Amino acid sequence: MEYAVSRREFLRMAVGVALSASAGLGRPAWAQKRPVLLDFYTLFHSGDAAAMEMIVRKFNAEHRDVQINLLQGQWAEYYAQLFAAVGAGNAPHIGICHTSRVMDVYRALTPLEESRAGNLLDLARIRASDYTRSVWDAGVYQGKRYLVPLDSHMWGLWYNKDLFRQAGLDPERPPETREEFERACEAIRSRTGRMAFHPCEDALPRKIRRAWEILLWGQGGELLTPDGRRAAFNDERGLRALDYLVTLSRRGWHQPGTDGFKLFAAGQVGMLLAGNWYLPTAKGSGVNFGFHYVPKFFDRPVTWGDSHNLVIPRQRPERTSNEVLVEAIRTVKWINENSHLWGIHGGHIPAYLPAQRSRELLESDSWRLALRKFSEMANRGWVRYPVIHPKAPQIHAAIEPAVQEAYNLRVSPREALARAEAEVNRVLAS
Amino acid sequence: MRWRVRAGAPADAPARAPSRGLRSILRAGELALFLAPFAGFWLLFRLGPVLYGVAISLYRWDPLGDVEFVGASNYLRLAADPRFWNALRNTLIFAALAIPGILALGLGLALLVFAYRHRPAVRWIEAAFFFPYLLTVSVVGLVWRWLLDPDFGAVLLALRSLGFRPPVFLNEPAWALPAIAFATAWWLAGYRMVIFRAALEDIPEEIFDAAKVDGATGWRLVRSVLLPLLKPAALFALVLTGISGFIVFGQVLIMTAGGPGRASEVLALYLYRFGFEYLEMGQAAAVGVVIFTLILLLTLLSFRWLGYGGAG
Amino acid sequence: MNVRAVARVGLVVATLLAVLWLAPVLWMFATAVKPTPHIFALPPVWIPSVVVGDHLSAVLIKWPFTRWVWNSVVVATCATVLSTVVSVPAAFAFSRLQWRGRDAVFLVFLSSMLIPLEVNVIPLYFLMNRLHLLNTYPGVFLPIVGMPVGVFLLRQFFLNIPQELDDAARVDGAGSWRILLSVILPLSGPALAALAIYMFVFSWNEFFWSMIALSSPRMFTLPIGLRALQGAYDIDYGVLMAGASLATVPAVLVFLLLQRHIIRGVTLTAFR
Repeated sequence: MEYAVSRREFLRMAVGVALSASAGLGRPAWAQKRPVLLDFYTLFHSGDAAAMEMIVRKFNAEHRDVQINLLQGQWAEYYAQLFAAVGAGNAPHIGICHTSRVMDVYRALTPLEESRAGNLLDLARIRASDYTRSVWDAGVYQGKRYLVPLDSHMWGLWYNKDLFRQAGLDPERPPETREEFERACEAIRSRTGRMAFHPCEDALPRKIRRAWEILLWGQGGELLTPDGRRAAFNDERGLRALDYLVTLSRRGWHQPGTDGFKLFAAGQVGMLLAGNWYLPTAKGSGVNFGFHYVPKFFDRPVTWGDSHNLVIPRQRPERTSNEVLVEAIRTVKWINENSHLWGIHGGHIPAYLPAQRSRELLESDSWRLALRKFSEMANRGWVRYPVIHPKAPQIHAAIEPAVQEAYNLRVSPREALARAEAEVNRVLAS
Repeated sequence: MRWRVRAGAPADAPARAPSRGLRSILRAGELALFLAPFAGFWLLFRLGPVLYGVAISLYRWDPLGDVEFVGASNYLRLAADPRFWNALRNTLIFAALAIPGILALGLGLALLVFAYRHRPAVRWIEAAFFFPYLLTVSVVGLVWRWLLDPDFGAVLLALRSLGFRPPVFLNEPAWALPAIAFATAWWLAGYRMVIFRAALEDIPEEIFDAAKVDGATGWRLVRSVLLPLLKPAALFALVLTGISGFIVFGQVLIMTAGGPGRASEVLALYLYRFGFEYLEMGQAAAVGVVIFTLILLLTLLSFRWLGYGGAG
Repeated sequence: MNVRAVARVGLVVATLLAVLWLAPVLWMFATAVKPTPHIFALPPVWIPSVVVGDHLSAVLIKWPFTRWVWNSVVVATCATVLSTVVSVPAAFAFSRLQWRGRDAVFLVFLSSMLIPLEVNVIPLYFLMNRLHLLNTYPGVFLPIVGMPVGVFLLRQFFLNIPQELDDAARVDGAGSWRILLSVILPLSGPALAALAIYMFVFSWNEFFWSMIALSSPRMFTLPIGLRALQGAYDIDYGVLMAGASLATVPAVLVFLLLQRHIIRGVTLTAFR
């Protein structure tokens, strides 16, 4: 072309001049760099969600070129929607993945060391040595890293100190052994008339399964055989675990199907097994509560736990440029660096060691009230992750209804386990 | 260009009549113009997907990965899965509770409103019964879940304060589906009421007068005079409500998510979980085909048993 | 017994039943403005003594709630308008034009009423994925436009318009489109309104397909957004009822304004 300025370019310039003239004092409208907007969708709710919101608000206040668009919730359909979004090419730039789900969710995630923008870990200076070792190591599948650890979380024993006092128990000596636990239950039942114990948060099926798993693991039982091909829980250990869950109700210490979260916060429950995410609710409830390890119900102390990880769901190049991908991983790193807030306000143990050891966290109320004991449980190796298996969701879906029906006193534990075993084996065989 | 008009109208004789063949082509072209917009949407988004669904159901299909032709294996897996049969059973139970519930409540309310049709206040009563129909399914599910909450639900607390010992509806296997069906009936009965009431108003006054002369009042009037006259309206309502019963999803997801255990896992929920939680798209497509086949069979049967209701 | 007295008692019973019928909705509104300790109080606080806006503002501030309302309005409006536009000529062809095989073809369309949207969600998901329409407005409303309800409803109505009107217009030299636009449509106001109401309510409520098609929260329609609220606040009924109440306010307003039209419209969709 001979002309220095094509017709189209000339038009664009003319429009530009007009625009900048109309924009007056400010920079011309098109010259203002619009911030990179990163979608960050989580599955957090209640107290967790509030804590993450606080972190993101801090991020957005400190950054001008990058802003996070945060949306949270939807535990039940989170992964389903993540898959759908990746399939549709509009996945969030940052997401959350449980360590226990890496074997089936990895398909929807960006392999961080070999992304099209290069090794994202290096680009954001994310180093293994900065993270709790075990949690970091679990973020890899088939030799590829997909997960950047955010936290460890687990269940513990929340108890109502006022009800302990009313029941004639020492509110500073919560039960640690099965004998102490049962004595406390009986005292609360007979002297206060309240529900002595709630073993499973809000009694959703997956929570009931977790309570049963704690009892199973405490005897050395396992969900699956070591090769992951068959169910292994239908033995005397699995049965004893489920029997014990049922016994709690039979002895009048528990009422199945009730919501422990709500009832504990209303001062109606003596002891509650629940995760660290309960801390904000417990603090806000006005209940004079204490926190302790999960009692040793059987041979060894154990609790259910998992980790949240930050992930970058698979992005299509036409929607997400390499630069945005790099912004996303830098944002992940920033969230890690500020994850002491995740500990203080969300009640989780940060996986990022500088945050875990930060003064802010160690001197916080949350640390004193619960996190110290959570981290002790973790350091003592009491935390067990749920089964990690490509078919984990279906395996859990096979177990939960049966366990729930036994817990609800609808079928005998023996029958429930037989049913669950048959279904798990069918899932594993197909 | 003209259309043939019916007998009695003047024959059309245009000055320059095109040849017969050209005319019929033009007519066909115009007809196509009338039909094409709708037919296009219909083919692409209604009929097409049914066939496409059958095709998908013959594959093992991971939306983020591989595709593999597996023949009827998805159907065999359904047949071998007790969870599928449970979902089918639950769907039938739900339909058996909700459909008669909606129709009976709708009819009852219609008769009530009709009986007081000359009172001005009835307009507001009718509006109250109709209003829940305008709520979206999530609102219905959330409200009833809250009303039936095991610990703080108003219905349970009210029943308890009246001295009853109600079951914890949503956490009792035997009560979960009835509770959802009840909420559904509350939601949709108003719609049926309006339709039944319109049918009642179509009945000429003379029939009522004649019935009164015969001494038919109250229930006898309803049973021997009104119901037979309402039969055509009821039949089609039955079919359409029936279909909605087979695809129930939203209320169940929100009120119980299929629980307790699997006591309320219905086919649509089974389809959703296999398709989008376990990513077994082929098996989920097979469930869609099964639901469709069931609806087809039951429609044919109900027309057969109850007589063709004048649907067209 | 006095017939009048019976009638009066019956009316009182009907009124009480109507109030009871609305009680769940009233309870929803009440919960939305109660402070949380009153919501979870034993014995229950039936009538709120304090009214708080915390739950309502939580929904409006922390969630793109107004965006959800907007999305629902867009989806329902597009579905309604488009489906009316394509149904009118088709219904005309099935009612006012004579052609061979007309009734057979109509029966095929009609029988597809038996295919609920829900059985097609998997193929629709694949199809919309190929068309790059997942998580878009058209992705949600196009499948609704394929529903034959409109054709069926309008055809019924058109059939009842006297044929003589067409014939007279044809004698005056009007073509089919002109007959449709200037003879049939002006007479079809009630049917079009009925169809519009039906389609709008249907699309406003559509849940299963929307839940699959929409994966980013900013694109959610109201029903899907409310489900997301439930996921986020599963124990906080104050916020949930606030969301449900806010979602219900438009329905209340529209109903109070258009009550007669809506009920008459529904009557026309009776498929009798």
